[in-house]
Amino acid sequence: MDVSYQKPLPQPNADDRFFWDGCKKHILLFQKCRNCGGVRWPPSIICPGCYSRDTELIEASGKGKIYTYAIYHQVYHQGFRGEVPYVTAVIELEEGPHFLSNIIGCEPDNVECDMPVVVVWDDITAEFSLPRFKPIL
Amino acid sequence: MGLKDKYAIVGVGYTPQGRVPDRTALSFHVEAISNAIKDAGLRREDIDGLICYRHFPPLGGEPDVTPYLVAQHAGLFPKVMSQEANCARSQLLNAMGWLGAGLCNYVVISYANNPLSGGRSSGQRTDNYTKAVFGQFGATSGYAMAARRAMHTFHTGPDTWKHIAVGQRKWANLNPVAVMNDRTMTYEDYFSSRWVVEPLRLFDNCLVTDGGRACIVTSVERAKALQHPVVTIMGIGQHNTAVEIEQATNMAGPTGARLSGETALNMAGITLDDIDACEIYDCFTYTVEITLQDYGFFKPGEGESWFESGTIEPGGRMPVNTSGGQLSEAYFMGLTQITEATMQLMGRCGERQLGPRTNTKEPEIILCSDNGGILQTHSTVILRRL
Repeated sequence: MDVSYQKPLPQPNADDRFFWDGCKKHILLFQKCRNCGGVRWPPSIICPGCYSRDTELIEASGKGKIYTYAIYHQVYHQGFRGEVPYVTAVIELEEGPHFLSNIIGCEPDNVECDMPVVVVWDDITAEFSLPRFKPIL
Repeated sequence: MGLKDKYAIVGVGYTPQGRVPDRTALSFHVEAISNAIKDAGLRREDIDGLICYRHFPPLGGEPDVTPYLVAQHAGLFPKVMSQEANCARSQLLNAMGWLGAGLCNYVVISYANNPLSGGRSSGQRTDNYTKAVFGQFGATSGYAMAARRAMHTFHTGPDTWKHIAVGQRKWANLNPVAVMNDRTMTYEDYFSSRWVVEPLRLFDNCLVTDGGRACIVTSVERAKALQHPVVTIMGIGQHNTAVEIEQATNMAGPTGARLSGETALNMAGITLDDIDACEIYDCFTYTVEITLQDYGFFKPGEGESWFESGTIEPGGRMPVNTSGGQLSEAYFMGLTQITEATMQLMGRCGERQLGPRTNTKEPEIILCSDNGGILQTHSTVILRRL
């Protein structure tokens, strides 16, 4: 483990371990309901739309657009000292789910709602990779 | 509907507020409750229901503030008691249920916290790692995301929110117990305050306050036998859209305020035209805008023109957050609003009193809102002086 990584790390649980296992392979996995077709996030044992437990995992394209975003000027956690201003954003993925992540590769002032973005993988430790997003130019 | 004007708020309890060092959260609960009981002209033996506002993890060295610990220290032996965990904001409805079921005669509702002197900050929590790994912390970011989406959806932004921050500060300047009582705010001050999480500035954020607040609810019949003018719950509503902001699609409206407000107005049998003033839950300036918008005071995007020319200020046609609110008086969750509305309707507000003193309408009906999570829970209560 990279001891120099000072930010919070994922703590996979029984519901979402598949997702972080996928991230390690640079794959964005989401649950899709085999009954109604709904793709869901966060993970759950049943589909909140139809209560079916019949679920398959799909690989998302990694493309989407920015639904909304926030520009952090205040440091809330020591691990992010030196990173402000940074951008957190809700990505509306092509498959439907809204996924919280970061926007990178773009000045915060140039970020906009509805901007098309694509996933960029960040191998933060030997164990974990985070999906971040950058604008599609 | 059957609940209209059946229950009343008969006493309010205040404590020192602002930065109040060397005090536990428990001590503020006890002080607020004892003051509310005294204010109502009751004895502690009369109180048979206790509802504590939300539970916070205890600070180091302090006891975990549970309702039974509060009851013990306040010398109460309630038949029924409860405490919310995560801002469901149903305290008044619960109290009305206990009273209506005949289980209780007088229910006290209290809130207390010591985050400022105790060093508590919700922003440092990393318990939801799916957010923390990306650097998402605290409530400001969630509301910043909502406010940003609203800016994308309709006409709004700092030019709208400045009217809320500055307008409420003018009320605080008339309120001797407001934390910001002696500090004025101009539009220039607003725009020069630092970004916290853009698009929200420091002056878009509510205060972090040490202190407590309490109120007592009883039947309207019992209220008539007590010392203050009778302030009834004329209408009440709730709606919980529940979804976390990271997945929500209603952050630019309609929030829970839409259905909650309709429910309360229908119960009261009135329209917005009958409202004399509003006490709106104001964790952030944007919360005030979207709440008033979803209640129907103005159409989406018309907030800036509705607020300008001092609409919500002393002398304005729709006073809002007349204590200074949580932006400029003190943060006690929904009790900041409910206690201020009660005080205004009882005519106990001194220099900030609605009516001739502030060149506003004499208040008979005041609409209050409460809101929890990141626009996930909403409640509305309409109070009136009988």
